[in-house]
Amino acid sequence: MIEIDVHLPLAHFTLQAHCTLTAKVTALAGPSGSGKTSLVESIAGLRPATGRIAIDGVTISDLPPERRAVGYVPQDVALFPHLDVRGNVRFGGHDEGRFETLVTMLELEPLLRRATVSLSGGERQRVALARALMTQPRLLLLDEPLASIDQPLRERILLFLRRVRDTGVPMLYVTHQSFEALALATDCLVLRNGAIAAHGPVAEVLGEFSGEVENLFEVDDPRHDPERGITRVTTSGGLELVLPYDAVAGATFPLVVRISGEEIVVFGARPESISSRNVIAAEVIDVREREGVVDLTASATQPIRIRITRAAADDLGIRAGSRVWLALRSRSFRVVG
Amino acid sequence: MSVVPFTLLIAAASTAVIAPIALALAAWSWRAGVRGAVIDTIAMLPLVLPPTAVGFMLLSVLPRPIVFTPAAVVIACGVMSFPLMFTAFRVALETTDRRYFDLARTLGATPARAFARVTLPLAWRGLLSALLLGYCRAIGEFGATILVAGNIPGRTQTLALAIYERVQSGRDHEAALLVSYVMLIALSLAGLSTMLIHRQRKRMAA
Repeated sequence: MIEIDVHLPLAHFTLQAHCTLTAKVTALAGPSGSGKTSLVESIAGLRPATGRIAIDGVTISDLPPERRAVGYVPQDVALFPHLDVRGNVRFGGHDEGRFETLVTMLELEPLLRRATVSLSGGERQRVALARALMTQPRLLLLDEPLASIDQPLRERILLFLRRVRDTGVPMLYVTHQSFEALALATDCLVLRNGAIAAHGPVAEVLGEFSGEVENLFEVDDPRHDPERGITRVTTSGGLELVLPYDAVAGATFPLVVRISGEEIVVFGARPESISSRNVIAAEVIDVREREGVVDLTASATQPIRIRITRAAADDLGIRAGSRVWLALRSRSFRVVG
Repeated sequence: MSVVPFTLLIAAASTAVIAPIALALAAWSWRAGVRGAVIDTIAMLPLVLPPTAVGFMLLSVLPRPIVFTPAAVVIACGVMSFPLMFTAFRVALETTDRRYFDLARTLGATPARAFARVTLPLAWRGLLSALLLGYCRAIGEFGATILVAGNIPGRTQTLALAIYERVQSGRDHEAALLVSYVMLIALSLAGLSTMLIHRQRKRMAA
């Protein structure tokens, strides 16, 4: 459990964060310049902030950075350029067993003698993770771990981040509305102009603040049906979904998938002839109009967010309490990781 | 000992004495940020004061037995080369990204250890360049030295003082020869120093 009560004057506003993080992995989201990096740096002890930060009840905010046991991987990872990969990883500690474990877990063996300048973005990220984990941190802070990684490599880095998560070290990481990165976290903290604008489960918080209308589902219990080309899954919220078999056949479950709210079709009555395999009955619980579009939140066994045009909303006569049917094309789902 | 090796030796001794002090203060000032400006200003004094004024002050604080000895030359050269070395050390430290130092601390290193294991190795070219500049300055020191150590051939006379003495006594050819020595030494050391600075900048930009 991480208790944060931080007060830090910045150039354009004062960062004021008061919250308690209970999730193993929390994503820290928010627009550029909202104070995300400053908050993370103040937890690491690199920015003098007033207030209190405590990990599992132990106050660390009055300790110098070297005694906080907080691992920090900055956005540009900042590997020491005068040390090779081994030297960088070893900088954090001399425990031989731990070193070997991390080298194996993050697959660093072939890199150990390399100079840091010769590493790719993904390799640098892995070395920086190992270096931070060598200190046996009680909390790991990551600043946009996927920001400088090209799309094809992201899934691979996510794999390593998941391995780190599975070691049990609590993580707080900054993300810039990266759905791939959000797939790691259970909770999300949103900062806006230095204040906490939202804090809660990722799926709920995300839709509210991302500007886009996205649905993230953690799915499990896959029932593959290769002959029909489908896989039936159950979301953590209890929804039964059908996904394309070829998209998820090789994946490791539980898996996070997403579907844009713009790709969900809304019907006022149960559609009779439709190719979509996912037709879900739901009740509209929230309607928000903005700039020609209407954002709906509909409740099935879990909330689903949809964006439709104003004209469509008028045609369907949608308001809070309306009964609707949602069609989610299985091909519209994207595997996040 | 002839004047050239004597001068090189004196300059080396003064550099060896003053460099650790200059580095420690430069490190403190680098860490202190804005608060370090006080040290920066005081460190500049020997540079902006007339050398004879510094010499006079040294004369009034140095114990009698030291005055007019080679030790006095070492002290005068050290004090006068201090500002250049200090400033060059500061610049060399500034070229290293401070975040490496900060990051080393999150990895469990105390400030002293982070400085020694991260900042110093990253800045070594700039620091060596600063040493060379300080050494050059010590070789050329004149005003303070002549006040606290006099100009005693074979005892306290350095190259700069020897040139002065030769010109005073009308031995211009000898003076020209000494000037050519000092030119050669200064050019090669300053050239090496400049090269190191360029490498340092290039490395930190990479």
